[in-house]
Amino acid sequence: MSGALNVVAHLAGIAAGDRAALKHLYDATSAKLFGIILRILAERSEAEDVLQEVYITVWRKAAEFDATRASPITWMATIARNRAIDRLRARGSRPTTTLDLATEVVEPSPAADALIDTANDARRVTAALDRLDPRHAAIIRSAYYEGLTYEALAAREGIPIGTLKSWVRRGLIRMRGELA
Amino acid sequence: MLADMVPDDDAVAIDFALGALDGPSLRAAELRLRRDPEFAADVARWQADLSPLIDAVAPVAPPPTIWASVERELFRGLVAAPASSAIARGVGAAVNLWRGLAFGASSVAAVAIALLVARPATPVAEAPPALLAASIASTDAAKAILITATYDPARGAVILTPSAKDASHGLTPELWVIVGKDKPLSLGVIDLHDPQAHRIPQALRSKLTGGATLAISLEPAGGSPTGQPTGPVVAAGTLTVI
Repeated sequence: MSGALNVVAHLAGIAAGDRAALKHLYDATSAKLFGIILRILAERSEAEDVLQEVYITVWRKAAEFDATRASPITWMATIARNRAIDRLRARGSRPTTTLDLATEVVEPSPAADALIDTANDARRVTAALDRLDPRHAAIIRSAYYEGLTYEALAAREGIPIGTLKSWVRRGLIRMRGELA
Repeated sequence: MLADMVPDDDAVAIDFALGALDGPSLRAAELRLRRDPEFAADVARWQADLSPLIDAVAPVAPPPTIWASVERELFRGLVAAPASSAIARGVGAAVNLWRGLAFGASSVAAVAIALLVARPATPVAEAPPALLAASIASTDAAKAILITATYDPARGAVILTPSAKDASHGLTPELWVIVGKDKPLSLGVIDLHDPQAHRIPQALRSKLTGGATLAISLEPAGGSPTGQPTGPVVAAGTLTVI
């Protein structure tokens, strides 16, 4: 059984109230989700709080997961991203991460990561982004991985917000065109 | 100009799926997400298109304490609270009482009374911090009490006791605290089905004081993506010291 199918089975178990299934799911997915949350929040204690909230949400909402509409990891990653961005916005005026990721190379994924059923898709998306202007691709990645607003990204890049928005939107539409 | 080649609808769906909006534009997109299924489907498609990017995120092993907290929160919150917490035992009793009673306002009153009675009869050397309670009533004309919340500062948790039928309509209820005229602060997503001990993040505990408002809004799966309520606020109540 593939990693993704395992995750689907765990979610079904969780929906039926199986605590062991939640533990299995946690073991299979928590490092990935923690990685996603840490990219957005950077502050470890906050990221830990959010990770905990995510699994509590997954336990309560597993019955709502629809395998025909999203892959299980996409569903969980969306919950994790939403909760982390939620927390980031709740900080309000507190400074966001000062990491300059605009030019940072994204880490390669570990070869042994059996969890993700999207390795193929990931290569295609990465290839499509790589065909864009490197600066545009870097900004799209920053927006996605760090959960930053257009406003924050524009300030960091030192470019007008309108320019930045059009780079991102046109870039993603081109990316989708490459994927089709 | 090239930017004009991006249709407005696509632009907003992209912005929202990325999570790059803030302020009024975010508010507007959220409103649209609830009212416009086509727009919601667009957002979901963009989220799906972008999701392979998570493959490139390096996993980071969380500390073992996280799993312990998840387990404690979900499975021991009501049944086997720390032995030192007489309050928790009292709440357990109240929950049993709640289970034995029919739904409705009268059972809420009974639970509230049970909570009062359940406070330790013999004061220990150090007085326990005061409990705060709120009856969170629906914001519609009926004013039906949806949930009773009791905040126990000693545990850093709100004990939530639903008292009416689940009114979440398949959406995710999220709990908020509002202090004075400040913006609502999220206390996380909750459940309207079962009694639960809902942990409050350390940083937000100081906000739960007498006079603060607890409110519940209905949000998309996973809770509000913005840090502010995006769906209808279905219930609210004021915290008072009990």
